Amino acid sequence: MTGPVLEIERYTLDYQTGRSTLRVLDDISLDISAGEVVGLVGESGSGKSSLAWAIMRHLAGNARERGGQLRLDGEDLRGLSSSRLQALRGSRLAMIFQDPSAALNPTLSIGEQVAEVLVRHQGLSLREAWARGVALLGGVELKSPEAMMRRYPHELSGGEKQRVLISTAFACRPRCLIFDEPTTALDVISAAQILALFTRLREETGVSALYISHDLALVSRVADRVAILERGRLVESAPAATIFSAPAHEYTRRLVSAVPDPARRLIDQPPASATALLEIHKLGVSYGRPGFVDRLFGRASETTQALRELTMTLSPAEVVGVVGESGSGKSSLAKALVGLTPFAGEIRFEGRVLSNAAGMNRAYRRQVQMVFQHPDASLNPRQRIGEQLARPLRLYGLAPGESEKHAVARWLEEVRLPAEFASRYPHELSGGQKQRVAIARAFAARPALVICDEITAALDVSVQATVIELLLELRKRHGTAYLFITHDLNLVRQIAHRIAVMYRGDLVEMIDAATLDARGASHPYTRALLEAVPRPLRGHPAPSSLQGTP
Amino acid sequence: MPDSLKRLLRSPQGMIGAVILLACLVLVLLGPWLAPYDHQALSITERYRPPGAEHWLGTDQLGRDIASRILVGARATILLSLLATGLAMLIGAMLGTACAYLGGRFDEVMMRTMDALMSIPSLLFALLIVSTLGKSGMNAVLAITVSFIPGMVRIARSVALAQRRQDYVGAAIARGESSLWIVSRELLPNIAAPIIVEATIRVAFAIMLFATLSFLGLGAQPPAPEWGLMVAEARGYFFQAPWMMLMPGLAIALVAIGFNLLGDGLRDALNPRSGER
Repeated sequence: MTGPVLEIERYTLDYQTGRSTLRVLDDISLDISAGEVVGLVGESGSGKSSLAWAIMRHLAGNARERGGQLRLDGEDLRGLSSSRLQALRGSRLAMIFQDPSAALNPTLSIGEQVAEVLVRHQGLSLREAWARGVALLGGVELKSPEAMMRRYPHELSGGEKQRVLISTAFACRPRCLIFDEPTTALDVISAAQILALFTRLREETGVSALYISHDLALVSRVADRVAILERGRLVESAPAATIFSAPAHEYTRRLVSAVPDPARRLIDQPPASATALLEIHKLGVSYGRPGFVDRLFGRASETTQALRELTMTLSPAEVVGVVGESGSGKSSLAKALVGLTPFAGEIRFEGRVLSNAAGMNRAYRRQVQMVFQHPDASLNPRQRIGEQLARPLRLYGLAPGESEKHAVARWLEEVRLPAEFASRYPHELSGGQKQRVAIARAFAARPALVICDEITAALDVSVQATVIELLLELRKRHGTAYLFITHDLNLVRQIAHRIAVMYRGDLVEMIDAATLDARGASHPYTRALLEAVPRPLRGHPAPSSLQGTP
Repeated sequence: MPDSLKRLLRSPQGMIGAVILLACLVLVLLGPWLAPYDHQALSITERYRPPGAEHWLGTDQLGRDIASRILVGARATILLSLLATGLAMLIGAMLGTACAYLGGRFDEVMMRTMDALMSIPSLLFALLIVSTLGKSGMNAVLAITVSFIPGMVRIARSVALAQRRQDYVGAAIARGESSLWIVSRELLPNIAAPIIVEATIRVAFAIMLFATLSFLGLGAQPPAPEWGLMVAEARGYFFQAPWMMLMPGLAIALVAIGFNLLGDGLRDALNPRSGER
């Protein structure tokens, strides 16, 4: 096959909002050759999903196409009738979504949904389609595909659902596939398995693909070529092998330097630990309480054990990273430590033994602060930034000789925000700015330990980098210890002294970051986790040899 | 607050609602002084006069000026409805937030009681209360209040429950704030908007319920110039003098529409996010 499969030529798209128009895609030109995988990387709001929907010809009602062409095998997609488009979608052009649970109909069995595609686009009878479906599910490494066909989406895990969707997308031998953040909603290990599956299917079928993601490290592993989108403009398009080693555009350079790289440690001086700051002894958290009927009949009730007998020690000014998949109990640990959930076991702090949340006195509340994942939720939407920053000051006192107004301004300055933000409401700030306010609020109590629960997960990479930089600077200035909870192993290896690896409520390994770098992990789960994390493809002496076959 | 007021007046519904209610406020405050005639003055010669230059809205079967009666009656009708809704809002919001915050057995007992109250249609329930306590305007207010409380409790509770799960409540607990602070300063401002909107819309229902009770002879008693009562009294003369029923009916409709529009406008104006873009 000669010529590109998908051609995007000088494509421009606006969104009409009220009286003004917002340019989402500006003069985009991008070709995807047969068998090539092009990665499209951009931060939120860069227009990457809009491009995907423009190619699928399913744009929002307020979208206005200002020019340019979209061609699949030389056929102009923009001029197609809706019946032609329907025949095209799912057969020659297919799309895989971020959230597999939203993309499957919860009221139809997997088999019905897979067979429907085959009946519709390949003209098979229902019986043939069902048989093909079983073969397809087997092809994406799903166990017992026949039983799987009769199941409903809620009976499958996220990774399994994504496999089902991939199998249907590949079923009709599409010319081009569009992936919109297909692994973002999955945990690290399932994501790695999905990527391995995609790589295999791609070799077998020679499909072309547009792989959209915010994760540059991941895209550099998956794609042959990477295109960088910044606010609707395509700023750079380069082979995946060279994007990390030789980023040409200034924005790409910024993006590359923001991607966490475990080889680049951002923290030094292991703390001189004479005494422990906080000792956690056999901490357990369980959810669900016995129901009324259960208690009446003395029945044993089902409670979920979110955290089992966790024991660890934190030293002053130490950064301990906690990593694990969703449901591993990391957030339960954080909530127990600040008394937001009942717990079993003991917390020892400054010579005091705490066995329940009621035992947490003012001194403990002041010294142990928490920053939450979503700044939208953790800042009260109806209070001005200044009022919220003043609360810890009012509760725990001001520095001598400082007025409350000055203290608020100083804390805003410490997190590098202008002082006039004090009179604003949270919704007037960007995500990164809100998270800075939340950090300032935690630090205003002058704590000894700050618990950070996935605080950068909702932020873009470049914003994440600046927030991390801020945290490290504050630590240097105030000597604060961090319990840094994250799913991002690369990030935690950059900034933590020790890393706690959690799996389904158990602490499986506590390892020094230095030891991890030098000797690798000892526990098999940690090793699996390490292998699953996509590490940025760094430059090698001969990048051309690493290039994928276009 | 000035911001939300500005936003309220910028939306067409909010603007119209505010104008109508401002006019109502004038009626409530100055009605008796604005009335061109004495609202109780009888006149044998002036009976059944259609609306005209002398009597703007006509006269009734006893020769009383309808315009004057509507102007004077505004106070009773609107104030009593507002009182009933306000009471229901206060009690309902307090109970609902308490249910959401305390949870457990208190919540369970409270909500089942509310379910039981809700299973009786509100008009029937109001009738029951008034017929037990006796006919009077204040008893009608009480009846409306009680029949509105379950709905307000449910709304306050559901909104408060959603807010309780937000991280800012967790952040406040972790910061060591007292429960009183969390409920009054963190939770309440965030649930006030939907409750106020709900209450505004319910005022319209209260006016109509109040008029219904008066129509049935269980609310205001003759010769009070209450609007619902005026409609009831005019029933017998509908073919002879339709304006007798039409005029107070229009007044009720206008006020109800005013509150409804204001409620719609407030819903948008009180949401701090709606100011963006």
